[in-house]
Amino acid sequence: MSKIKEKLMKIVFLLCACISIIAVVIICLFIFANGVPAVGKIGFFDFIFGTHWKPSSGEFGIFPMIVASIYVTAGAIIIGVPIGLLTAIFLAKYCPKRLYKVIKPLINLLASIPSIVYGFFCLVVVVPIIQELTNTSGKGILTASILLGIMILPTIINTAESSIRAVPDMYYEGALALGATKERSIFKTVIPAAKSGIMSGIILGIGRAIGETMAVVMIAGNTPIMPRGITSSVRTLTSNIVMEMAYSSGLHQKALIATAMVLFVLILIINICFSIIVRKKEK
Amino acid sequence: MTKLKTYLKHPFSFLMLILLVTAAVITVASIIFIIVYILEKGIPNITGELFSLHFNSKNQSMLPSIINTVSITFLTLLFAVPIGIFSAIYLVEYAKKGSKLVKVIRITTETLAGIPSIVFGLFGFLAFVITLGWNYSMISGVLTLTMMVLPTIIRTTEEALLAVPDSYREGSFGLGAGKLRTIFKIILPSAVPGILSGVILAIGRIVGETAALIYTAGTVADTATSLMDSARTLSVHLYCLLNEGLFTEQAYATAVILLLLVVGINALSNFVAKKIAKA
Amino acid sequence: MKKLLCGILAGTVLALSFAGCGSSDSNKGTDNSGVTGEITVVSREDGSGTRSAFTELLGIIDDQENDATTETAEITNSTSVMITTVEGNKNAIGYVSLGSLSDTVKEVKVDGVEGTAENVKNGTYKISRPFNLAYFDGKLSKVAQDFVDFIMSSDGQEIVDKEGYISVEEGESYKSAGLSGKVTLAGSTSVAPLMNVIADEYKKLNPDVSVEIQESGSSAGIQSAMQKAVDIGMSSRELKDDEAKTLVTKQIAMDGIAVVINKENTIESLTSDQIKSIYLGETTTWEDVQ
Repeated sequence: MSKIKEKLMKIVFLLCACISIIAVVIICLFIFANGVPAVGKIGFFDFIFGTHWKPSSGEFGIFPMIVASIYVTAGAIIIGVPIGLLTAIFLAKYCPKRLYKVIKPLINLLASIPSIVYGFFCLVVVVPIIQELTNTSGKGILTASILLGIMILPTIINTAESSIRAVPDMYYEGALALGATKERSIFKTVIPAAKSGIMSGIILGIGRAIGETMAVVMIAGNTPIMPRGITSSVRTLTSNIVMEMAYSSGLHQKALIATAMVLFVLILIINICFSIIVRKKEK
Repeated sequence: MTKLKTYLKHPFSFLMLILLVTAAVITVASIIFIIVYILEKGIPNITGELFSLHFNSKNQSMLPSIINTVSITFLTLLFAVPIGIFSAIYLVEYAKKGSKLVKVIRITTETLAGIPSIVFGLFGFLAFVITLGWNYSMISGVLTLTMMVLPTIIRTTEEALLAVPDSYREGSFGLGAGKLRTIFKIILPSAVPGILSGVILAIGRIVGETAALIYTAGTVADTATSLMDSARTLSVHLYCLLNEGLFTEQAYATAVILLLLVVGINALSNFVAKKIAKA
Repeated sequence: MKKLLCGILAGTVLALSFAGCGSSDSNKGTDNSGVTGEITVVSREDGSGTRSAFTELLGIIDDQENDATTETAEITNSTSVMITTVEGNKNAIGYVSLGSLSDTVKEVKVDGVEGTAENVKNGTYKISRPFNLAYFDGKLSKVAQDFVDFIMSSDGQEIVDKEGYISVEEGESYKSAGLSGKVTLAGSTSVAPLMNVIADEYKKLNPDVSVEIQESGSSAGIQSAMQKAVDIGMSSRELKDDEAKTLVTKQIAMDGIAVVINKENTIESLTSDQIKSIYLGETTTWEDVQ
């Protein structure tokens, strides 16, 4: 009896584990089935490498948006990862317990603030500051990078912190016993040991940054042209979808789904790159 | 103060310490600034009529949206939590390390975690709203969100399970307990705080989600009474209020309530986690 | 040591957050000489009803009659972002629906005419667009038909005027037939606020009817109506040819589009040629406008 139960539950567990595979497959199916025909109609090169997006004149080139998404995400990583990682180390190894009890919920709260609130906050607070400092309209790559850098903080902090805590204390204590300072022991023994966890946090962060929609659409300026500098107003792939989806129809709508497809492929590439890096380092 | 002296001897360590503290300060300061800003703008605009039972053009009541948010969150967790925990159990306790299936599952969960919510939204729109003909409805939204938060729950549960010392398992087996019994009686209870932190993350994501919901659950501002009803969550409500620029004050007030809701959920989960951990 | 760290952290956090709050309140130096420098052109997204009406009426089009708004224009899909942008950027120019106009920005006269409901109605203010309903001809449910009748009645049109939009018909007054059931609408986010008010009034007269309004955008609304997912689609643009084959439209109101600039800007009036040239990207600085 109990054997049957064990077997049965094992199958249940297995089935549940397979749901994520099924989910990815059907998402692919739906997005690709709607996106590929549109790309075929527009022409692969005109779509991916075209630099003009004018749906009303039948021009669907998303190259500026691909570039913009990459720039903005890179900017967010440059700002968010160092701050996030260092904060995680602080929380795991330095933070007094009492302070930790205050900071940790705050960080969880940061994770739960809806992106639309971030966007509006940034529009009324950060945009004017950048406007003043750079003498431009204040919307663009720089603003979006700062915002996304803050938005990915909780993701990076939480994953990095838990993977640092998961490193056995022996490593750290061993290094201390050998006479290394606290910082040296952390940076030379604990961090390398926690690397794969930290990496997966960064991947998650990149995913969130590149996929962020509601906040970016408010503060990136959304100009569908090639970025010309760090303050240049840009349109990311996500904002292209969310801005025009509501009013689009026909080929325009299909082109937007194709934009989602490109975004999807981009994320696949990033994931694959990172898993290769992580695996190589592990060897 | 002897510590200070050692730091002076090791400039690298000192620099790192400064950087660590600065980073923590930046993080905490930006959080506090954002929160204070929202509260400052929102609290003066909270009025009683924002909580009337029915939404109409004059009061922009958010109560229906709050109820919808709670029901959508609950329903999503109903699907996502068991599936997520069971997946993690399979990955940690059953699967052979390095098997092909595990690799595929891991890659797909990572992919799923990376998919932007707007893509989930489009997928939900194409699959549930159009192909299955469910229109804009709670069920379309809930299923879309389930897929979205699944990886979060799988990942955190997996980590929590891995953190349970092997000696627990060995002890349980040694006493003659079966695998299933070991998992449910020994491993899961000690992994509860970790799992709950995943659930909190998931709740946060559900409550704050907009992009995946406007094209699936729709924007009808009344309390949904069935799975096939369109339902506007609080974040979507905020989006709608901001969109036309007519109700900015109400939008700030909504943001405050949204924030309080999130704090409430976090506090509740912490409370539950402690209760379970003690029991 | 720990206490010291704790103290430093807490202190700095406090100082920083206060500094942050302070700076957001402080006023930027104002300059009364009007504005100079590059114009920040703000436009709505391609496909938006507001944008297509704006570009068509002002002739911001190329030889093939396609939208030719300058590619360097900032784009937004939300009225509030448009207003906030113009409010915060002294070099900005944008346009919003008359119904959403707020006093945080300055409306300019177009060709010397102020954009008011009256001027739209008597035809002197040119930049306006229709609010349409789209549905299957003759296939409306009894309740839905009654709802449409209510909108077109003098009572319904009165609400249109009261909300700052422009009525289109002088219908007869409405009498409730005591129907019960459900009417579903989906579509334009611009029409939805007006529709919410109309629905409230309608429900007062017909307590047994429920009205569901979905804000999903003009095209999504029209599509839903074509797929019979909803009774009526709401659109803030004219129907495209392939859409007009299956659905009929009923214009329920007009909406003016106001051209807005920052309050620091001293310009009171622009000619339609000036606006056109700004949006085409031919005029790029405010010096050239004056």
